[in-house]
Amino acid sequence: MIDAAPGAPPPDWPRAGDEIGAQNFGPFAQEALARYAAVSGDDNPLHLDPEAAKAAGLAGPPVHGMLMLSCFEPLIMGWRRDLFIARLSAKFLRPVLAGDGIRVMGRVLRSAWVPKPELILRLTARGRSDDLVILAEAAVQHKNANLIS
Amino acid sequence: MTACDPAQAAAASGLAPEPGENAPVRLPAIEVRTEPDEVTGFLRETGGIGTGDFVPLTFPFRWLALPAIRGLILQLTGGEGFLPVHESQSFAYERSLHINTDYVLDVEIEASEKPPRLILKMVVSTAGGEICARLETVLRIVRLVAETDI
Repeated sequence: MIDAAPGAPPPDWPRAGDEIGAQNFGPFAQEALARYAAVSGDDNPLHLDPEAAKAAGLAGPPVHGMLMLSCFEPLIMGWRRDLFIARLSAKFLRPVLAGDGIRVMGRVLRSAWVPKPELILRLTARGRSDDLVILAEAAVQHKNANLIS
Repeated sequence: MTACDPAQAAAASGLAPEPGENAPVRLPAIEVRTEPDEVTGFLRETGGIGTGDFVPLTFPFRWLALPAIRGLILQLTGGEGFLPVHESQSFAYERSLHINTDYVLDVEIEASEKPPRLILKMVVSTAGGEICARLETVLRIVRLVAETDI
């Protein structure tokens, strides 16, 4: 149960502008890409074969976009365990090459409590040179949203 | 074959294309299951922190590798000399997925020519027909350049 007056968010409910602390993931070695390919089924040679990556104009195999996108869920769940990620949309802006890692972070864009407790988050992943590699937005709701109102 | 030719791909896969040029190709419903060992392996490689009944948010993406879906993607990509590059991805959940549970996938793939892209839309439903999640995957089709072409 959520202990708050009707219509008022509990004191610890995030506000617009709150930051989700940055977290590092990786570096993603070529072996990690092979393991992700095995568990995800995404064995696109672009990620596994340096020659295929070169033929696509890259200096080396890029980390799977979905492997990097998967990092946002532990980021959010590490921030607050009481949230349900209802929506996540992302654009993959730049490749991150095997051997490099990413730094993911977030910020609360909008916060609501009624009619439902929902946060809109801006999420980003940055590469080695602090270049933006993923720009994403998530809508997260309190897990007990159906108990409120 | 061009990089994206849904009509040819649909014909090759035995599906009837919908009317109109570049009409989406809709696959017959596919039954899947959130097998515990597959979920655990996926969690391990994606830094997941969930336990028990938890199914990672991005886990349904792995179902795009199922033979029926993968085969159509490869056909629409244009075969040798082309590769799909992931451009954008979205997930919209109406209810969480549970481990060791049966689901049904409805998949539609649309190709665009300029620029060459595939847009995949997947709906994950319970066996009882309740919608759990919708995914949209946009793949840009990249033509590989052989060294002799450079």
